[in-house]
Amino acid sequence: MQRAGIAALLFSVLVTVLAFQGLIGFGHGGADWSLLSDRYYQSVLLFSLKQASLSALLSLLLAWPLARALYYRPQLPARRGFLSLCVLAFVMPTLVLITGLVALLGRNGLLSPLLGEQWNLYGLNGILIAHVYLNLPFAVRVMLQQLQHIPDSSWQLAAQLKLSRWQRLRLIEWPTLKPAVLVLFGFVFVLCFNSFAVVLALGGGPRATTLEVAIYQALKYDFNIPEALTLAWSQLLIAGSLFLLLSRWGRSHWLSVDTLQRQWIPQPNQPMKLIHAMVYAAGWLLLLLPIVALLPGVLEVDMARFGWSALLRPTLVSLVVGLLAAGGAMLLAYLMLTPVRQAHLKRQRKRALLLEWLSTHALVAPAMVVSVGLYILLLRQIDLDRWGMLFVVLLNMLMVVPFAVQQLRPRLLQYDAQYHRLCRALKLSGRQRLRLEWPFLRPAFIASFALILVLAIGDLAIFAIFGNEQWTTLPWLIYSYAGSYRIAEASLASLLLLLLCALIVWAFERIRLDA
Amino acid sequence: MRSLLSLFTALLLTTSVSAADLTVYTYDSFISEWGPGPKLEAAFERQCDCDITFIGVEDGVSILNRLRIEGDSNKADLILGIDDGLMEETRTTGLIQPHGLKLDRLKPELAWSDDSFVPFDYGYFAFIYDSRQISKPVDSLQALIDSDATVIYQDPRTSTPGQGLMMWVKAVYGDQAADAWQRLAGHTVTVTKGWWEAYSMFLQGSADYVLSYSSSPAYHVVAEGKSHYKAAPFSEGHVAQIELAAITRTSGNPELARRFLEFLTSAEAQRLIPVSNWMLPVIDGVELPPVFGELIQPKRIGFSPAEVADRRSQWLREWRNAAAQ
Repeated sequence: MQRAGIAALLFSVLVTVLAFQGLIGFGHGGADWSLLSDRYYQSVLLFSLKQASLSALLSLLLAWPLARALYYRPQLPARRGFLSLCVLAFVMPTLVLITGLVALLGRNGLLSPLLGEQWNLYGLNGILIAHVYLNLPFAVRVMLQQLQHIPDSSWQLAAQLKLSRWQRLRLIEWPTLKPAVLVLFGFVFVLCFNSFAVVLALGGGPRATTLEVAIYQALKYDFNIPEALTLAWSQLLIAGSLFLLLSRWGRSHWLSVDTLQRQWIPQPNQPMKLIHAMVYAAGWLLLLLPIVALLPGVLEVDMARFGWSALLRPTLVSLVVGLLAAGGAMLLAYLMLTPVRQAHLKRQRKRALLLEWLSTHALVAPAMVVSVGLYILLLRQIDLDRWGMLFVVLLNMLMVVPFAVQQLRPRLLQYDAQYHRLCRALKLSGRQRLRLEWPFLRPAFIASFALILVLAIGDLAIFAIFGNEQWTTLPWLIYSYAGSYRIAEASLASLLLLLLCALIVWAFERIRLDA
Repeated sequence: MRSLLSLFTALLLTTSVSAADLTVYTYDSFISEWGPGPKLEAAFERQCDCDITFIGVEDGVSILNRLRIEGDSNKADLILGIDDGLMEETRTTGLIQPHGLKLDRLKPELAWSDDSFVPFDYGYFAFIYDSRQISKPVDSLQALIDSDATVIYQDPRTSTPGQGLMMWVKAVYGDQAADAWQRLAGHTVTVTKGWWEAYSMFLQGSADYVLSYSSSPAYHVVAEGKSHYKAAPFSEGHVAQIELAAITRTSGNPELARRFLEFLTSAEAQRLIPVSNWMLPVIDGVELPPVFGELIQPKRIGFSPAEVADRRSQWLREWRNAAAQ
C-alpha cells in the first residue's frame, strides 16, 4: 500500500516532469531568463498577483457572512439545493459567465440602471465580479464545513460564560476558521492567478493581462518555447511557494461532508435572523441571476429544428471521460495519501508537507504548459489522432487529483488519529482495515467524487489539445457553436451542461445521505 | 457503466485515421457538423473514388505548430486553414511543396500568384454594427478611431481578427499607429481572447461596433433572416484574411492532393464553402444566396505575408504599449 502510494506520487510527478522535458527538448535549451527584466512581463506579473489576491480576498470576505447564515440557520429553505448549486460554479462555462454578467451588468444590463451613470463592468470590476462568482460558492462550502466542526461543548461553555457575540466570534468561530481560511485563500488565489479568457473579456483592454495570456501567446502564436518555459517556471515558483507556505500555516477540512447530527447551535436573535435570511437570499440571487440571464437568448433557438440528437453523443462522451477520470483520480488520491498518513503517524512534519505538496502539485503547474509539453513529446511517439482520448482522460485525471486529495486527507488523518492504534493493537489485516475505514470515509469520498466528476466533465483546455472531433465533448460542442455564430445554441447547450452537472451533484448527495 | 465503457473502447478501436488515401490537417470548426468539411468530403469522394480524412486541430495556428512538432513524420498530404499571415512561417518549415497549378481562375482582387499556397476562401476584416441603433455609421477607420463610438475587438496576441486590426491600423496610420491605438483605447469597451466573446458581447448590445468579417451579415440573413447587422465600409480600404491550403513535401499521394486543391477552387466547392464557413468565394461567378451580392466590396490594403512575418512582433509590442495606457 505504502509502495503503491509512492508509485502513484511518482507517476503524477513524472507526467509533469516529462511535459517540461518535452518542451525543453523541443526548444533546444532551457528558459530565457532575460525576459524577467522586461518591463512588460513585470507589469503582467504584478497585475496577475494583484487581481488574484483581490479576487481571493473578496471571495472569502463575501463568503463569510453567507457561510455563517447557513451555519446558524440550518432550517433555511432549500439549503441543500443551495449547497449543490455552489458546486456548479466549478464547471461554469466561460460562456455562461461572460454572457450572464454582460446581460446583467453590461451596457444594456438588467441591473445596470441601478448602478448609476458611472458604472462600467469592464476593468478590474468585471474581473473581480467574475472571480467572486466562481469562487465564493466554493469558499462558502469550505467555511460552512469548518464551522460545523465546532463542538457542541464549546457553545455550551460559551453560553455558561455568557460570552458576548463579539467574544464568541473571536474565541470560537475565528480559531476554527483560521486554518481553513489560509489554505482556502491559497486555493482561490491559484485558481484566479491561472484565469485567462474571462480576465481578457471583462478586463477592458491589454492592461488586464495575466501571466497565463503571456504563456498562451508564447506557446501558441509565437511558438517561443524558451519564453514559455520562463513564464511557466515563474508561475510554478510563485503559485507553488505560496501554496506551500499557506499549507504550512493552516490545515483545511476542505469541502468535506456536512455532518447531519443535530448540533447545539446558539440561536441568533430576531434581527440577526433577518440579516441571515437576507444574506441567504442575496446568495441565491447572486448564483442564479447570471444563469437566468441566459434564458432570453436561449429562447431564440428554434427548438423544433434544433438538433437535439447532436447533443446526445457529446453528453455521453463527456460522462464517460468524466467517470473514468474521476474514478482514476479517487484511486490515485487515496494511494498518494498512504505515505502522507504514514509520515503524519511518525510525526515527520517536513516529509508530510513535501508529500502533500507533491500530491497537489498539479494545481500549481500551469495546465497549458503541461498539456502542450506532453503533446510535443507524444505526438512524435504515438498516434494521437487515435489514442488522444486516452490522454484526455489521463490528464483530466491528474488535474483533478489535487481536489480529491484535499478533501480525503483531513478525513483520513482524523481516522488515523482515532483508530490507528486500535487497528494496530488488534493486528487487523489490510482488508479488515479497509472495511473499517470505508464507512468513515464514505461521505467524504462520495462528495469529492461528485465534485471532481463535474470538474472533469467541464474540461475544455485539455480536450482542445488532445481531443478529436469524433469524440466531441459537451463543453467543446458549446465552443464550436459559439465560434460559428451559433451563440443561442451555445447558450442552450451550456444550460444543458449545467443541468447535467446539477443532476450529478444532486444524485450523489442523495447517495451520500441515504447511507 | 460497464456497457458505456465497452462501447467507448469498441468505438475507440474502430476509429482509424491512417488508412485514408488523402489526409488533411485542418482546424476543428472546418470539419464540424455545420462546417464545410463533411460536404466537401462527400463531393470530392464522389469524383475521385478515394477516401479522404480530415484531422482537426484547435485552430489555424495549431496546424502550423503541429507541422513544426512532427516535422517529416507528419501524416498530412494537405494542410488546409493556414491564413496568409502565417504563410511565410509555414513555408520556412520546409514541409510544403509547390502545387504546380495554374491559378488563373482566382478573383483578380486576390492578386494571388504563390507557387505553394492556394486560397480557398477569404474575407475582409470589418466593423459590424446594428443598423437599428446606428443610422449613420462611420465611413473610415480614421473616423472610427476619432469618434467616441464604443468598440470591441479581439486581442492580437491570441486571435487572428485581432492581428488583422493590428495590420489595418498600421496600414492606415504607419508611424502614427501608437497614437491611434491610444485614441481607440479611450472608447474601447474591451479586448477579448477570441472572436466569439467579442461577437456575442456585441450581439448583447455591449458596443456600437465589433471587429469581425465583411461577410458576417450574410450569416444573419441566411441563417436567421435578420438583415439589420451590417458591415461598415471604410474609405481607406480593408485588410483581408485569405485562408490557404497547401501540399506537404512528405505527401505520399501528391497527385491526388493536387486534384483536391483543384477541386477546392472549383465552382462546386466554392458554392459550399461560403454558406458554411461564412467567408467569400475565391472565384467569380459562384451561385450564392443573394445577400452575398449585397455585401460591401472594399478596396484591399495591407501588407505582404513576408512583411507581416517580419514585423509582427514589433507591431504587437507597439499595440501592447500604446493600448495599455
